[in-house]
Amino acid sequence: MNLENEVKKLFFEAFPTLQESEFDWNKKQKDYEHWDSFAQLNLITLAESKFNINLTIDESISITSAKELLACIKSHL
Amino acid sequence: MKIITAFLENSVNKNPNKIALVTTEQRHTYKELFELVKGFSSYISKFPKNSVVSLLFENSTEFVISYLGTLYASCIAHILPTNISDENLVKQIDLSEPRTIVTTKQFIKKIQKLTDTNIEKFDFTDVPINYNKSSTRKPEPNSISYLLYTSGTTTFPKGVPVSHQNCVFTTKNITDVLDYKEIDINILPLPLYHSFGLGCLHASLYTGATLFLHKNATNISEICDSIKNNSGSTLALVPATLAKILQESKEEILDSLSTLRLIITNTASLQSELVKKYRKILKNGHFATYYGLTEASRSTFMIFDKEGKEKSIGLPAPGVELKLIDAKNNIGNSGEIWIKGDNVIKKYWKNTEADKNIVNGWLKTGDLGFRDSEGYLYLTGRLDNIINVSGEKVMPEEIENVVKILTGIEEAVAVAMGHKIYGNVVKLFVKKSTNSQITKSEIISHCIKNLERHKVPTMIEFINEFPRTEYGKIKRFMLQ
Repeated sequence: MNLENEVKKLFFEAFPTLQESEFDWNKKQKDYEHWDSFAQLNLITLAESKFNINLTIDESISITSAKELLACIKSHL
Repeated sequence: MKIITAFLENSVNKNPNKIALVTTEQRHTYKELFELVKGFSSYISKFPKNSVVSLLFENSTEFVISYLGTLYASCIAHILPTNISDENLVKQIDLSEPRTIVTTKQFIKKIQKLTDTNIEKFDFTDVPINYNKSSTRKPEPNSISYLLYTSGTTTFPKGVPVSHQNCVFTTKNITDVLDYKEIDINILPLPLYHSFGLGCLHASLYTGATLFLHKNATNISEICDSIKNNSGSTLALVPATLAKILQESKEEILDSLSTLRLIITNTASLQSELVKKYRKILKNGHFATYYGLTEASRSTFMIFDKEGKEKSIGLPAPGVELKLIDAKNNIGNSGEIWIKGDNVIKKYWKNTEADKNIVNGWLKTGDLGFRDSEGYLYLTGRLDNIINVSGEKVMPEEIENVVKILTGIEEAVAVAMGHKIYGNVVKLFVKKSTNSQITKSEIISHCIKNLERHKVPTMIEFINEFPRTEYGKIKRFMLQ
């Protein structure tokens, strides 16, 4: 599985109620119904444990789309 | 009966030649036991009334003799757990200030390490007992009978002095509610240094029954043989052992349990499945639990005869009042459990800070719970365990219960972890079961699906063993 697919899968794990049609790489945090600050924290925690990486607080709070999450993970691998 | 020693005296008068106590090595009638107790009291009575006598014994006839002998001499039995660390031993002895420490050969080296030269230290077999004499003193009902230290899961253990009155009240409730009778054959593999085991000893003496005392509960087949060979009628076990029995699920073990009239367990909220299975195993018997603290022993009882109440810890014991105080200090159907009754201690042992938890006879337990429409009580967690995540209150027990559903998890403990933005977040410590391959991301993913967002752990750490108290409880404060 390539990294893109893995990050997308991770995204759906972090948002279990999210439908396929609601996902878009460029869609922003504010446009997702359940992406609040706690969900952000869960998304980062899941990414860190899945890819065995550590994001800084600044990196964590700067992620506002799936695309940015992918880029951030890439930069740590 | 107003004092604990009267349990023994009363049974001696009624049935002197009945077997009172059986261990692997010895068996004694009530009359024989009483003579030994009186003999031991002859040595202890050289100390002034209400002196502290520290006892360090595993389950044995010698423990029972020393304990009752100490009470018979109107002294206070300070009961030490056998697995106490050297550090805690020093602290407990410093705080309790005993006149003497009595133990067995097994532990004599441990107590000889104590440097206080004013304390007499004895191996039980060397105690200068005069069997022709006995104490002529009688304890007052409101005097302290025994001193136990709480398990200390959140702080250093607190000394809990239990009066004769407290204990008589509790013992009467145990025997009335659980219907202990003279004809009972009680099988007890629980340590007597814990309030649960000690309460079972009291109930057996109070009713004049026969007690088979085992050293520990690790050898399940030995316990089952004891039930079978001695026609045991009651058995006391902690939930962890009950769960282990079900896991092993050996037919001959389950068969031997099926003849009991009562299995009693303690304190923790039980898994519904476990309750249902034991209800089924006990063909004509009852499965029961109780809720209490050393400070307020046996405050509720739950006999699991009703469907749908498996998670409950029951109804208040006779003569015990309970109230639930919410965060705004109002009485309601959920909140911190407060207890009042003759089972509640008057104050802690030399601990004015802890005494603040007893207000006008009400003990603030620090346990959180709720009551259903029929008045049954349920435990939800501990007040001092609550994690404040950005203003949201999180009960660690809720997270732990969700995680423990996963295969491959043996134990999980959630604690607060400081966070730059949220103040606190949840950190989870996990002990995996043998050969478990579970990953951190699988646990987090499971939590996201099953918990509210602010309750999902931000960090997971796998550990081999949890730090535990002498009573086997996890020391949460050491994980913070």
